[in-house]
Amino acid sequence: MSHARTQKLTRIILKAATVVILLLLLLSEILFSSITLFFKSMITVIFTYPYGVIYNNLMFFLFGLRGKIGGLTLTILVAAVSLLLAFIAGIIFGLMRNSRRWWLSYPAIGYIELVRSVPLILVIFWFCFFPPGLSETLKSVGRVYYGIFALIAFTGAYIAEIVRAGILSVSKGQMEASRSSGLTHTQAMIYIILPQALKNMIPSLVNQFVSLIKDTSLLWFVGVMEFTSTIFATSNREVNTTVTMGLYFFAAVVYFLVCYPLTASSRKLEKKLGVGER
Amino acid sequence: MIIFKKVDKYYGSFHALKDINLHVKQGEVVVICGPSGSGKSTLIRCINELELINGGELIVDGYNLADPRTNINELRAEIGMVFQQFNLYPHMSVLKNITLAPIKVKKMKKAEAEALGLELLEKVRIKEQAYKYPAELSGGQQQRVAIARGLAMRPKIMLFDEPTSALDPEMISEVLNVMKDLAREGMTMVVVSHEMGFAREVADRIIFMDVGLIIERGTPEHFFTNPKDERTKAFLNEIL
Repeated sequence: MSHARTQKLTRIILKAATVVILLLLLLSEILFSSITLFFKSMITVIFTYPYGVIYNNLMFFLFGLRGKIGGLTLTILVAAVSLLLAFIAGIIFGLMRNSRRWWLSYPAIGYIELVRSVPLILVIFWFCFFPPGLSETLKSVGRVYYGIFALIAFTGAYIAEIVRAGILSVSKGQMEASRSSGLTHTQAMIYIILPQALKNMIPSLVNQFVSLIKDTSLLWFVGVMEFTSTIFATSNREVNTTVTMGLYFFAAVVYFLVCYPLTASSRKLEKKLGVGER
Repeated sequence: MIIFKKVDKYYGSFHALKDINLHVKQGEVVVICGPSGSGKSTLIRCINELELINGGELIVDGYNLADPRTNINELRAEIGMVFQQFNLYPHMSVLKNITLAPIKVKKMKKAEAEALGLELLEKVRIKEQAYKYPAELSGGQQQRVAIARGLAMRPKIMLFDEPTSALDPEMISEVLNVMKDLAREGMTMVVVSHEMGFAREVADRIIFMDVGLIIERGTPEHFFTNPKDERTKAFLNEIL
């Protein structure tokens, strides 16, 4: 390679480097200024925010309208009831799914796969708008009950899959040993397989519960006065975007405070169970 | 007690048991040996219908296993089984492992079942471990608990599927000693095992299997001193 060519190449590289450095400087300047701007406005918002909006409506957010259960209480109540019933449904469908009899497993597979490939909001709409149109008696049942049914149907399918995996996680020898001793299949399931499977399932179940708590917010669409609805109802009365955003931020904080301890405890549990017996 | 008549067993297209004829009499101890994949575990698992037979006839204690009307749970209650991997219930104490089947299947009173459990644990020489969990026990102790569990239903037949293969060498004898006691008491036993010392001492008959066939059968004396088949000789050369 000639001397002249080397010099030319060096010059080009130098030029390119200068351009890149200048661009980086510019970018960092934009980044830096926007970050400072963001924090400045955050600080202004934090110090000048009309906290009265949250404080005055706190009882509404937590307990709903006077004389009715609503707000965060309803959110947690709906989630807890749904989880309990979805758990029962999940065990039934999970066992059916594992069954060797086609007339038990096929309906279970159909239900699980159907629900798992449909958005939750559609399930909620189906449950809340279809049955009330059928008769007057069904119409008189509160929306919240249809909402709970929808959440059970939805979560039940996921729990069924968790149950199925939990049962498969128990070694085959356990079933063989219990059947050899004369226990029936059902007895073996109840006394030997399910207790071990449930233990393996606890972390997944906690996660499902956390999802469920967050999913209850979708009941806002059908007019159930749970926590998110109380937030929206309040923010609708406000004109100022900053105030509205503050409310949404508050809602996020509350959901976090409810859900984080659960996920954290699930992680702890997972560790504890992992170190245990096996 | 156990009668195999021309029994065939397939896994898909794989012919696992071929034309098995075998008659185990009451009080007899039969040891089955052979290379891995020879069908010996399949054979023993057919006896309590952990595996279904596909052809022939299998009659165990008067129950015909080919007959769909046979109550399999009733039959299984009369057969104790011990597995290679112990298969104790990890979420239950040793005593509960033993008393579960008597309480649930025989509807025995809890106190009565526990007395029985402790008696059996004494017999397998680990009474002091009754309230521990399986994971706290050594392999040999776990296998002895499994034997006690098998005995808890007062079975007429005990099946052992490679009971010492998963054990450390120093623990094998404690399990074999318990099995020898059982044999001396006149228990009908079918044992899949490579423990030739045990076979020589305890077995009434030894059966050698290969590729799903019974190749050689006879008393230990015959088996060890003048085996007829070349495969038996080769196997004995390798294992002794």
